[in-house]
Amino acid sequence: MRSYLLRRLPSALLVLLLASFLIFAILRLVPGDPASSLAGPDASAATVAAIRERLGLNAPLLTQYTSWIGDLARGDLGPSYAIGGDTADLIRDGLGATVELTLGALLFVILLGTAFGVLGATSRRRWVRGVVRVATTGALAVPPFVTGVLLVLVFAVTLGVLPPGGRVPVLSAPDLGVQYLLLPSLCLALPSAAVLGRYLKDGIERTLAEDYMRTATAAGVTPRRLLWRHAMPNALPPVVTLLGMQTGHLLGGAVLVEAIFAWPGLGQLAEAGLTRRDYPVVQDLLLLLVTVFVLVQLLTDAVYAWLDPRIRWE
Amino acid sequence: MTEQYPFTPPDVSRRSTLRAAGAGALLAGLGGLTGCRSAVSEANSSAKEARSRPKRGGILSVAVNTDFTPSLLFAQSSQSYQHRLLYNTLTRYDDGLKPQPELATSWDYAADGRGITLKLRDDVTYHDGRKFTADDVIFAVKNLQNPVRAAQLRATALAVSGFEKRGDHEVVLKLAHPVANLFDLFEFMIITDRHSVEDAVKGTKLNGTGPFRLKKWSPGSGLSLVRNDAYWQPGRPYLDGVELRVMAQADALVSSLRSGQSQLSYQVPGKSLAAVKGNPDLTITSYDTGDGAAYVGVNTTVAPLDDKTVRQAVAWALDRERIVDQTLGGYGLASAAPWPKSSPAFTEAGRTHYTHNPAKARRLLKSAGLTRLRLPLLHLSLPGETAIAESVQYDLKQVGIAVELQPTDPATAQKKLISQDMPALWTMSHGFAQVQPSTLAVSAYPFNEAKNTSKYHSAAYTKVVREAWTTRDTAGAATNAQYRKISGILLDQAFIIDLAIRGRVQVASKKLHGVTLNKFSYLNLDDAYLV
Repeated sequence: MRSYLLRRLPSALLVLLLASFLIFAILRLVPGDPASSLAGPDASAATVAAIRERLGLNAPLLTQYTSWIGDLARGDLGPSYAIGGDTADLIRDGLGATVELTLGALLFVILLGTAFGVLGATSRRRWVRGVVRVATTGALAVPPFVTGVLLVLVFAVTLGVLPPGGRVPVLSAPDLGVQYLLLPSLCLALPSAAVLGRYLKDGIERTLAEDYMRTATAAGVTPRRLLWRHAMPNALPPVVTLLGMQTGHLLGGAVLVEAIFAWPGLGQLAEAGLTRRDYPVVQDLLLLLVTVFVLVQLLTDAVYAWLDPRIRWE
Repeated sequence: MTEQYPFTPPDVSRRSTLRAAGAGALLAGLGGLTGCRSAVSEANSSAKEARSRPKRGGILSVAVNTDFTPSLLFAQSSQSYQHRLLYNTLTRYDDGLKPQPELATSWDYAADGRGITLKLRDDVTYHDGRKFTADDVIFAVKNLQNPVRAAQLRATALAVSGFEKRGDHEVVLKLAHPVANLFDLFEFMIITDRHSVEDAVKGTKLNGTGPFRLKKWSPGSGLSLVRNDAYWQPGRPYLDGVELRVMAQADALVSSLRSGQSQLSYQVPGKSLAAVKGNPDLTITSYDTGDGAAYVGVNTTVAPLDDKTVRQAVAWALDRERIVDQTLGGYGLASAAPWPKSSPAFTEAGRTHYTHNPAKARRLLKSAGLTRLRLPLLHLSLPGETAIAESVQYDLKQVGIAVELQPTDPATAQKKLISQDMPALWTMSHGFAQVQPSTLAVSAYPFNEAKNTSKYHSAAYTKVVREAWTTRDTAGAATNAQYRKISGILLDQAFIIDLAIRGRVQVASKKLHGVTLNKFSYLNLDDAYLV
């Protein structure tokens, strides 16, 4: 197993190296530069030149690239050019916020998805099934930027029960933090909850239609027991797989929701970094995402290899 | 919360299903949580208090659309609100551009304009307890002379050629030549701690003498400030703290004001002001500072715009009143000249020098041998800026100039502006017309007499700008004549075509009182309080 992983390591490192080069090169191709962004709206060319010099942007591109990679190898992400502060701190804070938002959304996905699935599959009342169908279709069709604005209008502006934006970390002040988390995580969760609900509904309906279910009903098993003890365990496995895929979707979708709710996560950080051409922040952030992806791939391969020894010998 | 999902499974126990489906909703249930503390009522907690006189306490939440950028600490940018909260300046202007004492208690400007003696307060300390002295003033000036600081008033700082310290609380700034906008510098220049300036431009330590101390800066979220109990103004500030919260998205910013989560903002977009105006809890105040103006820039090296007749035709073709109404929500002054009403250079004749006159524009184009023209126009790809560019495009189309819009992100536009790489036309904003008029032509890059984006240069313009800048006097007949000359050249040459003067539009909760801005939009909350 260890030798299998060691064999995979060079290709993983090569992917990271190529990715780092591409990230570096593409950023340099984007018009604008951090020096003119930093210089402010009324700067002279002399000011821009002085800032370029200070940031080391006058050095040859290869020198800049090797310096960046060398610093990274030593674990030094360096200072942010334009946003300010330390790049590592910025990414750590942003990551914490994004993970918090994603976990909050995941909770909503599970709860709402279960509600949609169970009600859609088991209700005998047509109007209830109709409402579930409309709700899931709506949740899928309406884009998060519309849902977000509607949620803010209803809960923050009209009812005034929840804040419309911003963040208080849940771990630092749980009671306040959860209130700030509710609207953005709900907004982020709705499309995934709808997908999950539809899968679950189909799974429950399929299982309930099985012969052994009819037998159980005839034998006097209560509908509640029928659903939770027999139908749900059979319907759940594909839904759990789907949930894993939706988690990745939630992480990606967080960028837009972060903008609507002024949630200071990685999406906001990437946007701020790119807008100001803050090379270290954007470079490190993108490389971090690639690294996570590569690690997940490695992990997946390792699990497969562990499950199927034939792969190890290939 | 469960009422949002009134789905009831009849056969399976509805109670059990709801219990399962709504467990999280109950977990997050508003009732339970708000029983502890409410994020909304926290912001509104001071509302129930009496409202007639200044009251101590409360946290003011200010909604901003851009985060604090420490590297721009010494430059004026769209986000300089915190400058006067953390720091002080030497003087500050009153409404009539008359300097008032702040850290400098008095001053004596030499008759020959070659020096100014400043007497300083002796009861001021930095947030870390160190005493403020004349050395800090000397450092502040030298700091702005450093090009890396990107200070727009660097030219004025560079006019200070020497220092003479007379004790800890008196200093003489020696000047290479008289400078008309010396007090612009004193209002612009924040007095930082010279020992931690490098930490300040990284955002890690902001040690000033201002009414509030930095509690925390969370990049992306904003600044959290607390009262400086050792502030040199007795009994001030009233507020316990200030939060500058970043709401980059305009809808989120407006919602935070409407919901009471924020009590103050200067960044409500023009199109949203109508909605805010109807809110009984909010007031709108328009500051006549005029520190922002929308303009059309013209590259004078691109034919046929190298002919001033064509540039003047563009100036006549534009409907400034409509731009103010439709893109600025009615808050602005349609003006062909850059000066706000508070400027000594303002004249009604200058403001209305160009009005909307498409027929005249067509005649001028015809006299230049043109009937049809196609020109590119760069603009910032932001909603408000796009609306202005589209208005310009529409107006120019009426006189036979087809405009191709080039939406550009701010970083790229900024680089093009500085490197003189603009296309034939562009729309942007400029500041620095709100203080001494000479500052505009030496500190605002679009107007710079030596080098500007329009690539416009003339000996006459340079001469009058230098004369206006290197005089000691800022009022009087001779000075006013110079201002008129500058205006005359700007209007006649039309290399920058002003559209509208924008003052700061303040949207504030009715619970908030005593807020002011200085001429550079540094927020002053010394006397502010929440009721």
